[in-house]
Amino acid sequence: MFKEMKKVFFIIIILAMAILFILSADIEYGNPKNLDAANYYIEQGLYDTGAINLVASIYLGYRAYDTLIETIVLFVAVAGVVFCLRGKR
Amino acid sequence: MGSSKIIRTIAQKLFPFIMLFGFYLISNGHLSPGGGFQGGVVLGTAIILLALSHGIEQTEKIFKSRWLNMLEKLGILTLIFLGFLGIFFGYSFLGNFLPLGRPGQITSGGLMLPFNIAIGIKVAAGVSAIFYALIKYRGEI
Repeated sequence: MFKEMKKVFFIIIILAMAILFILSADIEYGNPKNLDAANYYIEQGLYDTGAINLVASIYLGYRAYDTLIETIVLFVAVAGVVFCLRGKR
Repeated sequence: MGSSKIIRTIAQKLFPFIMLFGFYLISNGHLSPGGGFQGGVVLGTAIILLALSHGIEQTEKIFKSRWLNMLEKLGILTLIFLGFLGIFFGYSFLGNFLPLGRPGQITSGGLMLPFNIAIGIKVAAGVSAIFYALIKYRGEI
């Protein structure tokens, strides 16, 4: 039962990735027509977040979730290293 | 303790300046290039330099590994707590509830300075904790 569920989930994930690939094939990244988000950050970043450094205003203001999860990734990495090395002795 | 006297002296003299530079990078992360991750790595490098030059026993008397592990968890918990404080004040999760100052001041970022400090402490403790684990369980200096 559990193994078949695993297979079904695997197939669903593969299909979802394929659909995402097909849907994003038309988008031209880097095309000047599609730079609305970047232009918005450049124009409004200082007024929205109050930081002169535009990089900081993006990674701590607009995309703070990303930074939080990145910190958790580093935490898991440290926990894994300590666990693996300690388990040997 | 295998290092020569020259290396030990230079490392001792360099240590406060490296720490100062790391704190500068962390606290001015929203005004100039830098930030929590980079400043935290610089702080961790200072501790690694002490451990490489003076031996792990001497370093552990000052920077105890229990405290470093505790600081690492404390950094993450502070980040999540600040995020929920945003909801409490009526903004979104991780939203900025502090007033924005004049651009260019150190308080201009609002919640960015506490975020950077928490991330910096967490990264410094994490980097040095990895180094401690590598030395303690897989060999000695």
